[in-house]
Formats: sequence, structure tokens, C-alpha cells
Amino acid sequence: MAVDYDPALIGRVFEVTDPVSVSAEAIGKYCAAIGETNPLYIEEAAAKRGPYRTIVAPPSFAVTFRNGRHFFTHVPRFGSAGFDAGKDVEFVTPIRAGDKITLSSHVKEIYEKTGRSGSMVFVVVRSTVRNQNGEVVAHIDHRFMNRP
Amino acid sequence: MSITKFDAVNIGDTLGPQEIFLSKDQVRTYARTCGMDVPRFTDDEGARSEGLPGMITPGNMSMGLLATLIDGWAGPGGLRRLGTTFRGLVLPGRTIRLCGAVTQKDEAARTVELDVWLESDEGERLVVGTASVELK
Repeated sequence: MAVDYDPALIGRVFEVTDPVSVSAEAIGKYCAAIGETNPLYIEEAAAKRGPYRTIVAPPSFAVTFRNGRHFFTHVPRFGSAGFDAGKDVEFVTPIRAGDKITLSSHVKEIYEKTGRSGSMVFVVVRSTVRNQNGEVVAHIDHRFMNRP
Repeated sequence: MSITKFDAVNIGDTLGPQEIFLSKDQVRTYARTCGMDVPRFTDDEGARSEGLPGMITPGNMSMGLLATLIDGWAGPGGLRRLGTTFRGLVLPGRTIRLCGAVTQKDEAARTVELDVWLESDEGERLVVGTASVELK
């Protein structure tokens, strides 16, 4: 069975998200939630002596930014049940306290797989995470699994 | 905190296992902190109404826990790439283990490849992945 979707969806970049300001406090809360205790991420004095001279976020903070309200106008849904099947993240440069982060995303590919539990449609969304200087912070390939 | 040196690493070296009790409160805190405040990640009853056995851990959180394991081993700035597959439901209120092993070493690039996984107390690999890490 071929998956039915509009091929023009592939590669079309969504609206860039509104910038999200990253505070040292937000990084601290994230660290507490994930159990991260490295002083470079949470203590200003230690961070100033460290390689980045300021508080930076642990790498996985990059996956916490959301695509926002436009997401499902660009990402097709197949069936009702969908879930997060996995992510591939390339970490380019750290997010620093004070950064303003935006996401631009597009559908990279759509494919079907048949497993033990039946047919599944995977939608891969690639997001590029940038800071206020336009520098790429991370590339994220996010695989959504749908059951048609 | 000891940061791993490239020259001291051998294929087969292990990361962890780091055993943690993943509490429901910790998962709720993560979900609320990260804008994922929806019933499947915060509330057993709400999760059951979606057909789940109870509240589940967001994939992003599982990935974050594995990234923390790698980051502690490699030192900040070392993690270049992490790819994960969320294979099974990570149910909070249980013990999990974060594990890893060195699978390749690139002398020219001074990078290593890792297999990483999050397993249940029974040893089932619920999240599996690979990572590339640059070491000093």
C-alpha cells in the first residue's frame, strides 16, 4: 500500500517560530528536571571559569523547543494514534543563557513500514535550531509514527 | 567529575550503568518544565483514557537522561550527535538503568562512537541509540 500525501509537503519550510529567550533560570529548571548537576550548567561562578565563560545549557535542552501552532498545517497525520518514535540530533554549538532561539522546520520524508503489529507511517520532520546571531545550534530529525 | 580522555578509551569500555528511580513527580516536573503538560505525561488516569497502561515518560526526557550520561562521561561540548529510537514505554515509578559502550574509535578525528540505551529493571531495552563524541 502506497502512502497517500501531497508531495509538495516535502522540503517546504514552515514559518520560523517566534524567538524564545533562554534565561539561566530556565536552564537551571531544565537541569533540575533531568537530574543534571554539572556546575557549568547551573552555577554562574563555575560557568564563568569554564570554557564558555557563561552559563550554557546541556545539549539535550535543544530538543525542548516547540514548533508551535503551524505544525499540523504542514505535517500530515495518518490515522488517529501517533507517537514519538525517536530523534536524531546533531549538536553544533551550545545554547548560552541570554540566547534567543528559533526553529525552522520541514518535512524531510514520509515512509511506510510494516512490522509485527501492522502497518505504520513514519513522518520525519527536520528542525534547524538557531540562535539570535543566525548560528545553527542543532539539527533535529524527529520521527513521528502513525498507525493508519 | 572525571572527564574521559581519548587516549585512555578502548572499544568495549562502558558508560554507567547508572541506576535511577524515575519517580512520577520527576516526570511531571519535566513535562511541565518543557511544555509537554499533557495527561499522558502527568496523570495515570488521563494516560489510561488514551489506552496507555499509565503515565509515560516523554521520549525527550529519556533522550535527555541518556545525554546526561554521555555528557558526564565526555565532558561538556563533547557530544556531537545522538540518535535515539523509542522502542517501548518508559513507565515512571520504577527503576531504570542508563547504559552505554564504546563501539568505534577514530584516531584522526579523535571521536568515538557509542551504543547507548535505557533499560528497565528487568533488562528490557526501552530506548536505544548511538552517539558520536569528541574527546580531548
